[in-house]
Amino acid sequence: MTTESPYWNPRHETMARDELEALQVRKLKNLLEWADGQVPFHSKRLSDAGVTAESIKSLDDLARIPFMTRDEWMQGQLEHPPYGPILAAPEEAAIRYHLTSGTTGKTPIRVLDSMKDWEWIAEMWCYGFWGFGVRPADRVFFAFSYGTFVGFWGAHYACEKIGCLVLPGGNMTTEARINQILDMRATVVCSTPTYALRMAQEARAMGVDLTKSPVERLILSGEPAGSIPATKKLIEEQWGAKAGDTAGMTELGTIMMFECEAQPGGAHIIEDHYIEEVIDPIGENPVGYGERGERVVTSFGRGFIPVIRYRTRDFVVKVPGSKCSCGRSFDIYDGGIRGRVDDMKLVRGTNVYPRAVEAIVREYEAIDEFQIHLFTAEGIRDEIEVLVEIPDASVDADSLCRKVGKALAEAHEGLRFGVKQVENESLPRFELKAKRVLDEREVVGGTGERKQA
Amino acid sequence: MRNAIGQDLNPAQEELMACYDRLASVLGERRDELAPFEERNALKALAALWQVANGLDMDRGQTYHLGA
Repeated sequence: MTTESPYWNPRHETMARDELEALQVRKLKNLLEWADGQVPFHSKRLSDAGVTAESIKSLDDLARIPFMTRDEWMQGQLEHPPYGPILAAPEEAAIRYHLTSGTTGKTPIRVLDSMKDWEWIAEMWCYGFWGFGVRPADRVFFAFSYGTFVGFWGAHYACEKIGCLVLPGGNMTTEARINQILDMRATVVCSTPTYALRMAQEARAMGVDLTKSPVERLILSGEPAGSIPATKKLIEEQWGAKAGDTAGMTELGTIMMFECEAQPGGAHIIEDHYIEEVIDPIGENPVGYGERGERVVTSFGRGFIPVIRYRTRDFVVKVPGSKCSCGRSFDIYDGGIRGRVDDMKLVRGTNVYPRAVEAIVREYEAIDEFQIHLFTAEGIRDEIEVLVEIPDASVDADSLCRKVGKALAEAHEGLRFGVKQVENESLPRFELKAKRVLDEREVVGGTGERKQA
Repeated sequence: MRNAIGQDLNPAQEELMACYDRLASVLGERRDELAPFEERNALKALAALWQVANGLDMDRGQTYHLGA
């Protein structure tokens, strides 16, 4: 076997951009033909827009296809339960059922996969694991609960496919997971960024120095924090291992981007299986390299549920693949997922993004856990405070809180942030996607534009 | 043998494609002759080999009609 190859699919990953785009056009035509023929929901949308597979000549033609939104998907599920009018194959062909994690939207999205789709889902994770240096000799521990959320399920099967020894870590306490990682001499650990920090915290409490463990790599997913430099640095220091970011979504069933071993400060888009556009979320026009915008994804993978120009609400900044030294031609999302369009909080006229707050708070290693709390003061005023746990009694907590507050204000046009120390272990801990924003405002917005929260 | 973008496959890749096509043919045309263990394992193999075909840019369409 060619374990020396740094690429899972060397030909595709190093393809010249014009060849890659020609490949995407061909796959797009196939996808449209399939969706048009099998899914009335898509055929009506395509027909209304005057789009046929044959009419696609270049990637510029993508703009003629209407966007697909999560709201439409959820509405379709309510009107045509349980899956909505989006299946392209009979339910009998499915072998897997999964749900979105429930961090956004009122109704979780339900999805089905066939044997072939499930293999494809693992295949996408293989790009990421192989690209970050995971090989058959590795022993991979999954700190994952193995429930209906698709999460690391595909990654588990990817590691089996690669030939690793897979160590499933579902239904275990954090302490039991640490023991398992050490006992089984795991070389790779998979978790959310938040949970990687939680495990490190637990290990310290157990008197375990993880930097002396055999773990060489962490594969992170599920939250934007895997590409926040301060968070990533903290994780790498506490584990003494390299941390690689990945990002996926249940709507696709798997990841669409991964960080390679060269760690270019972002993640490569798996462009032989997806077209990723970046648009202005309001004007809906495309934005160029280096500009922040919303991801719109078209997937060539899961044929069971065609996903065509899906508005993800993820903020990203795309840069050319040549920014990385790894040799891949796949473009990069610099800084990974930069947050969610819907995550933004308006506080006294200033936009606050949880990811930006985390990027600052994680600069201070003495802070173990934190929570962003928004509330209404005196019935009229929006306030924002960051609650922090500082377990080390030798740290001057008051001074640290003042420093953090100053840094947060400087990064937010002078907006006043209260920073308050709270009792250790009093803030919630998370295994899957962290929810660190507690918005208890009764009303939101400035004078004259206030509305019910 | 050439793929959908006009590139030649090497002999090993051609062998893999032949395996895929034979599996698809057996599952499509001679399924009644297969015991459960033969049919279900052949489907698993087909699903895996489809990834090879896809990665080689050999358009083989979807597999749902075969149960994969």
